[in-house]
Amino acid sequence: MSDLLSVSDLHVSYGQIEALKGVSLRVAEGEVVAILGSNGAGKTTLMRSLSGLLRAKSGSITYDNEELVGRRADLIVRKGIAQSPEGRRVFGTLTVEENLDLGAYTRPISETAGSRAEVYSTFPKLQERRSQLAGTLSGGEQQMLAIGRALMTKPRLLLLDEPSLGLAPLIVKDIFTKLRTIAETGVTILVVEQNARMALKLADRGYVLEVGRMALEDSAANLLASSQVQEAYLGKG
Amino acid sequence: MKEQIYRWAGPSLWVLGLGVPFALSANWISILALFAIYAVVALSQDIVLGRAGMFDMGHAVYFGVGAYTTAILNVTYGWPIFWTMIPAIIAAALVGGILAAPLVKLRGDYLLVATIGVSQIFHLAMVNNTAGVTGGPDGIFGVGVPSIFGHQLISQGNEYLVDWGLLGIVLLLMKNLEHSRLGRVFRYLKEDELAATTLGVNARYYKILAFALGAGIAGAAGTLFASQLAVVSPGAFVFTESVTLFAIVLVGGQASIPGVLLGTVLMFVVPQVFRELAQYRYFAFGIGMIVVMVVRPQGIWPRRRRMG
Repeated sequence: MSDLLSVSDLHVSYGQIEALKGVSLRVAEGEVVAILGSNGAGKTTLMRSLSGLLRAKSGSITYDNEELVGRRADLIVRKGIAQSPEGRRVFGTLTVEENLDLGAYTRPISETAGSRAEVYSTFPKLQERRSQLAGTLSGGEQQMLAIGRALMTKPRLLLLDEPSLGLAPLIVKDIFTKLRTIAETGVTILVVEQNARMALKLADRGYVLEVGRMALEDSAANLLASSQVQEAYLGKG
Repeated sequence: MKEQIYRWAGPSLWVLGLGVPFALSANWISILALFAIYAVVALSQDIVLGRAGMFDMGHAVYFGVGAYTTAILNVTYGWPIFWTMIPAIIAAALVGGILAAPLVKLRGDYLLVATIGVSQIFHLAMVNNTAGVTGGPDGIFGVGVPSIFGHQLISQGNEYLVDWGLLGIVLLLMKNLEHSRLGRVFRYLKEDELAATTLGVNARYYKILAFALGAGIAGAAGTLFASQLAVVSPGAFVFTESVTLFAIVLVGGQASIPGVLLGTVLMFVVPQVFRELAQYRYFAFGIGMIVVMVVRPQGIWPRRRRMG
């Protein structure tokens, strides 16, 4: 399988502070890859660099044989990379449907209704709540909306920044089941998570990010079984 | 029924306004003529502040660029007033866009301080007659009146109708903006720029565009302002004017056309009417602004939310 995304030796800084100190990873077409890491490991920084919201100091991000470093964020979306940002960030004063339609911003209007129907079939809850203001949804529903909105851009690669953040375990489970469904439609997924167990159950492969560097890389099954991951992220002694 | 009233109240009021020169005294005509001009400037400030959500504290500058452009072209080069409006709009839009280009990446409060700087520099440049064409602290006298088909619109009533006409055009523009894709993009940027960017909105481009659009409309108002007062001087475009425009939008209601118009009435017309009370009116005003912001932070007449 050829790599859809490959990152090599990526350095990203906030002023004097270097948040990513040479990160490399690769994601093959159709694959689900999880990046585990605790608070401050650089997960969100990595996601924002991939989507062009942050500019890398050095290193390279190759997507579909094109260099992305230095590209504008809105053009990267048009290349087929969608991001569901950390903390969901739905538009609270717009309805669910308006939020979804905004996701189709880069696409011809004629395709909006069709994509919306697809999102509704994945997340029936959103259809029930279609005319409700997004700000009045529960956390789980907002997360579904954020993912649905990202899907409206019709991505080849879906970036998910901590979809489990602040959600109850049952809801997290529900959302990861939906992500499995989305992956089965052929969308490549790169997810960063603190919830290592859920992420590794979904993923084919995984990385462990520790203070700006990749500490481990392996198949998801091996990582789930590894004592290092179990101690640090799965709460087993 | 209620919807119908809502839809027709605005246009009816505007049509009613056309009768002002025939019904009211000269004093009222001049107050309402200036109201029309300031309402246009306030609506243009609302594009940047209320709709796109950027803290622009230098909006009087674009108004001033338009007024000076008209004054210079009319007095020095003998251009007819209406013809000067086109370069006035272009000059103001360019100044707005070019100044905004490096500033829009600044976050709210930093942008605010930067636009205050812009406002101070403009005032200094005009006072010091930097380009040799602005007349220094006294400004430029003898700006003419507009003419249509060779007829000079010399009476106060006719000039009022021109101002009122511009207000009508700008109101139509604002109404269109409200329902257009551009208006929606401004709203997304105001609410959450990062989220909008992750969905493919070119934030920087649209923020500069908001500044250029708002500035261009303020420039058009500047043309009529110069002609209405027959004089353009730096004092009319000082920092405190920008502050008043900023306050009109916040007190009236952001992104709300009736709110901004009401704000203009309160902040501009009412003080003119109570002129004999001198300083006391500003005292009352200061207190009024504080009260509004505390008890009704969304403004007196906020934007209505239609349910989808």
